[in-house]
Amino acid sequence: MTDASIARAPRFKSFELIAGGVLTGVIVILVLLSNVLFPDSGDAVNFMARMMPPFHSWAHPFGTDPLGKDILARVVAGGRISLLVGVVSAIGGVVLGTAVGLVSGYYRGFWDTLVMRFADIQLALPFILLAITFIAIIGGGLTNMIVLMIVSQWVQYARVVRGQVLSLRSREFVLAAQSFGVSDTKVLWHHVLPNVAGPIIVLMTLNIATNILLESSLTFLGLGIDPLIPSWGGMLAYGRNYLQTAWWISVFPGLAIMFTVLGLNLLGDWLRDFLDPQGSR
Amino acid sequence: MMRSTSRLRAAGLLLATALATTLLPTAAHAAGTLTIASTLDPGSWDPDDTFLVAWAQVATNIFNGLTYRGPDMKLVPGLATSWEELDAGKRLRFHLRTGVTFQDGEPFNAAAVKYTFDRLLGPAGAKSPQRDNYSNIDHVDVIDDNTVDFFLKQPDPVLPTKLAGYGGMIVPPRYIEEKGEDYFNTHPIGTGPFKVVDYQPKVSVTLEANPNYWDGKPKLDKLVYRFINEPATEVAELQAGRVDIVPDLPVSQIPVVQGDKTLSIATSPGPLVEALFFNTKSGITQDINVRKALIMAVDRTTIVNQLLNGAAVPINSFQSAMSFGFDPSLKGLPYDPEQAKKLLAEAKVPAGATLELSVLGNDPTFNEVAQAVASYLQAVGLNPTIKPYETSVFYNDIIPHGKTGAMYQFGWGGWTFDYDNTAYLIYHTKQFYNPYQGSPELDKLLETQRPMTDKAKREEILKQIAKYVSDQAWEMDLYNPKAVYGMSNRVQGFVPAPDDRMLLTDVSVKE
Amino acid sequence: MIQFLIKRVLQAIFVVVAVTLIVALAIRLTGDPAVMMLQGSSNVTQADLDRIHAALGLNQPFYVQYFEFMRGLVTWHLGKSFQGDAPVSDLIANALPLTLWLSVASLAVSIIISVPLGIHAAVKKGGWSDQLIRLLSLVGLSFPNFWLAIMMVLLFSVTLKWLPPSGATDPSNFIMPAVTIGIILTATNVRLVRSAMLETLQSQYIMVARAKGLSEPVVLYKHALRNCAIPLVTYLGLQFGGLLGGIVVVERIFAWPGIGSLALDAVYGCDYPVLQSVIAVLALLIVGANLLVDIVYGLIDPRIRVE
Repeated sequence: MTDASIARAPRFKSFELIAGGVLTGVIVILVLLSNVLFPDSGDAVNFMARMMPPFHSWAHPFGTDPLGKDILARVVAGGRISLLVGVVSAIGGVVLGTAVGLVSGYYRGFWDTLVMRFADIQLALPFILLAITFIAIIGGGLTNMIVLMIVSQWVQYARVVRGQVLSLRSREFVLAAQSFGVSDTKVLWHHVLPNVAGPIIVLMTLNIATNILLESSLTFLGLGIDPLIPSWGGMLAYGRNYLQTAWWISVFPGLAIMFTVLGLNLLGDWLRDFLDPQGSR
Repeated sequence: MMRSTSRLRAAGLLLATALATTLLPTAAHAAGTLTIASTLDPGSWDPDDTFLVAWAQVATNIFNGLTYRGPDMKLVPGLATSWEELDAGKRLRFHLRTGVTFQDGEPFNAAAVKYTFDRLLGPAGAKSPQRDNYSNIDHVDVIDDNTVDFFLKQPDPVLPTKLAGYGGMIVPPRYIEEKGEDYFNTHPIGTGPFKVVDYQPKVSVTLEANPNYWDGKPKLDKLVYRFINEPATEVAELQAGRVDIVPDLPVSQIPVVQGDKTLSIATSPGPLVEALFFNTKSGITQDINVRKALIMAVDRTTIVNQLLNGAAVPINSFQSAMSFGFDPSLKGLPYDPEQAKKLLAEAKVPAGATLELSVLGNDPTFNEVAQAVASYLQAVGLNPTIKPYETSVFYNDIIPHGKTGAMYQFGWGGWTFDYDNTAYLIYHTKQFYNPYQGSPELDKLLETQRPMTDKAKREEILKQIAKYVSDQAWEMDLYNPKAVYGMSNRVQGFVPAPDDRMLLTDVSVKE
Repeated sequence: MIQFLIKRVLQAIFVVVAVTLIVALAIRLTGDPAVMMLQGSSNVTQADLDRIHAALGLNQPFYVQYFEFMRGLVTWHLGKSFQGDAPVSDLIANALPLTLWLSVASLAVSIIISVPLGIHAAVKKGGWSDQLIRLLSLVGLSFPNFWLAIMMVLLFSVTLKWLPPSGATDPSNFIMPAVTIGIILTATNVRLVRSAMLETLQSQYIMVARAKGLSEPVVLYKHALRNCAIPLVTYLGLQFGGLLGGIVVVERIFAWPGIGSLALDAVYGCDYPVLQSVIAVLALLIVGANLLVDIVYGLIDPRIRVE
C-alpha cells in the first residue's frame, strides 16, 4: 500500500481510532458517571483510615490520602474539573485563535499588524510568570484559570491559521472562488477552514494535555483551585509531598492524566489523517 | 533498516555511560563541617535589612546582641555583662564585656553600640523593616568605653529581649564606614563565633569558626548553608547525606525522615500559632453565637494528633504556652457538635449555608488542616469552600482590606514570645493586619500594658486581653506547631531553640 | 532590504517596550514591597509603609518610576533588589548563564533522544515501532515537570544514590534538570522530526541519493536530516520562550539558581526592580532571537520581506 492510498481511505479500523476511542471513551464515561458511582466525590474525611495503601481493602481499592479520603473516588470525580479545564480552555483557544488568524491572514493590513504584535508580546513573556502575576491580581478559581489558558494559547492557533491562510490565499481554488463572486465568509468557511483543520486539531489535543498539567503546576506554585474540589492536577501537586510515604496519592491521578493524554492524542492523530485533504504525513 | 535500530542502541548506551561516569561520591562529608538546608536566601546579611527566620538561622552565628536568649528561653548576658533600669524604666544602662573584638580585629566598645542604633534609627535605617521594633529607643549615649545608656521614649519591658536578636545585633562601625553599606550586606562582620568566608547569592553561604570568639572557639570548623526551596528536595539532600540539618521540616516529610535509619528528628516548642480568624463585619460570622458554634464544631485535638502527627499543640488563645501573658487557666470552647448545631439553629443559619475559608495557596500543611476543618463544618450542616490565595496578595490586599471569606488563615510567631507583640498587631484597631476586630476598650488595655515595667501587673493585663478576645470569639484558635528538624545521625549536641534560631557553637559532627 | 530591517527593528523595540510596560504595571498590582518587608514586625502602620515607600522611591508617579527603569535598562544600571539590596544587574549576570546553559543542555538531551527516534519512526511508518515511539513520546507530556523532577530525585539520588539532588556547582548537577526538561520537549520534537522526515524521504533528492547506492544511514543522517534541519531549528527557536516557562518550575525543585528561581522569588516578594529587569532581559533575548531568524530568512528568501 502506498502512502497516498492510506490517506484517501482513512482506516476506521486503525490502531489510533480503536485505542484512542476506547481509552477516551472509558475515561469520559467514568467521569460523567462519577456522580452516580461516587455520590460524595470522595469528600468524606476519615481519620481512622489515613494513608491506607492501595489494593488492601475493597472500601479503598486505590488507598486513601492523609485525610482518609478515597483516592479512587477522587480520581474519578477529579476528572470532572481536569477535563473541564482542559477541554473548555482548548476549545476557547481554538475558537479565538482561529477567528483571529482567519481574519488577520485573509484581510491583512492594520488588524493583522496589531494582532501579530500582540502575539509577539505574548510570546516574549514566560507564561508561568505571567500566570502567577495575573492570578495574583485577578484571583484564582476555575473561571479565571480557564480564561488565562485561553489567553495564553490563542496565539499558537492564530499563527498556524494565519500562516495557512496566507499560503492558501494565492492558491487557485481560492482565487477561483473569489473571482466567481463568492462572499469572503463563504470562501473562508468552505475553502480555507477545512484546510487548516488538521494542524489545529493536533495542536488542540496536545493543548488539552498541557492545560490539565498547567492546572497542576499552578497548584504546585500555590495558585490552585479549592482543594475540596478534587482535580487530577491538584492531587498530583499535593501528593508530591507524600511520594516517599504514599506514592498512590499522586500516581493514580498521574495515570489518569496519562491515559487521557494518550487517548486524546491517538484520536487527534486519526482525525488529522481523516480530515487532511492533502494526504497524510 | 537494522542499522537504525543499532543506532538507537548506541545512543542509549552513550547515555548510560554518561550517567555512569558522573556517579557522584554522595557522602562527601568534610571533617568538622556541618551543612544546613535553608529555604530562603535573605539577600543581605545586614541585621537591619530583613525579618526572616532564615536570616536569623545563619546570622545568630555571625553576630551578637547585648543580651542573649538560648534554647532555654532565659535572657542572659551577651555582649553586655549586666544591665540596670534607671529613671523609672526610661533609661537602661548596659555594662559591656571587655576585650571583645569584631572578626576583623576592630574592637567592640560603647561607640559600636551607639553606632549600631544610630544607624538603625537614622537615615541609613529609613527602609529597615527592623526599625519599628526599636523605635522606642530615643537615643543611645556613650558613658565610657564600656558603658552605654539607652534613653527610651517610654518604659519598655520587652526591649532587653529585643536586644537579643534581629535589629539588636551589634555591627562594626569602622568596617561599615570604610567598606560601605553594600559591601557589608554581602561581607558581614560581627563579634560572633563564625565568620562569613564565602557568600554565593541564591546558592550558599559558608562560615568558618572564629578562633578569637569571646566565649571560646566553636567545636565545628565550618558551617555551610545551602538555599533549597522545595521541602521534598531538602529531604532528598538529607537522605543522600549531602545535608546534615533540615530546619522547618513540613509535617508531610516527618515520616520520611523517621523511616531512614541514618536520620533522626529533633523537635522543640515553636513560636508560631495558627488560627482561622472570623470576618466579624459581614456575613453569618457577624453573630457571636455563630462564631462560637463554628469553634465548637471543630475537633482540634483530633486534627493535631492525627493529621499533624502530634507535631503541634492545640491552643485556646492566639499564643503559645511559652509566651509571656499565657494563661493556662483560660479554657476555650469545647468540641461539641450537638451544641454547635443548636447554636446555629438558634441563630437562624440555614442548613447548607456557604462560607469561604481563605488560605495561603503555598502552605500544603494548612491546606490539609483547612480541609479537615471544612469536613467538621460540613458535619454541622454548613457548606464550606476553601479559597487559596497568593502570599503577597493575601497579606497586601485580602487581609488588610477585609476582602477575606467568613474565615481566614492567619499564622503568627513573634520571636520575643510576648503576647503583647501578637495582640497589639492583630487586635488594635489602628493596625494594618486588623480589618475586622477591635474595640476602644481593648485598644485601651493594649496601650496601657505596653510601657508597664511591673511584670506581674503587665502579665495580668495580657491575661485580661486574652480573656476578652476569647469571650468575643474573634478567632478559631487552632494549634501551635512544633519546630521540627530533620537531622543526620552524625550531628552531635544540637539543641533546637523555640525561636527557630540556631546558635551552633556547641554542635559537632561524628566522622 | 533596509526598509525591511528598519521595520523589523522598530517592531522589536515596540514589543520590548510593551512587555516591560505591562510587567511594570502588573507587578505593582500584585502587592506592596513595604508590606512584604514588614512581615514580622509587631507594629505595622501606614506611616511605616510611607517611610519605606519613600526610601524605595515608590512615592513617585508611575511614569517617573518607569522612565527611570527604562533608562537603567539602557545603561545597565538596574537598581537594587528590594529583597536585600543586591544590585539587580549582578543578580541577572549570575543567574542568566545558568539558565541558558540549562536550556542548551535540555535541548541537547531532547535532540539526542528525538532525532534517532523520529527518524526511525518515519522510516518504519505505520509499523509497531513507529506506534510505540509515538506512544512513548506522549508519556513525556503526561506528567507535570515538577512531578517528573521529584520522581527523578527519588530514583537517582535517594534510592540509587547516583546523582546529587540539587545545586549547580558540579557538572553532574546538570543531568537531572536537563533530562526533566528534555523529556518534555522530546514529546513534540519526536513528532516534528518524524513528519519533517516523512516529507523529505519522499523528495526526489533522497530517491537520487538512494539510487546512487549510498548506504541507508548515510542517506538518513547525512542527506535527509540536513534537509529537515531548517524547520527543526526554527521550531526549536520558537520553543525557547516555552522552555523558559518550564524552567521556572524545574529550577525550583533542583534549587537551580537561575533566572526562573530569581523571577519566582521576585514575584512572591513583590520585588519590582528584579522582576521588571528579568522579564525585560528575557523579552530582549526572545525578541532578539526572532529578529535574527527573520533577518536571515529575509536575506535568503526575498518573498518573506513582503509579508
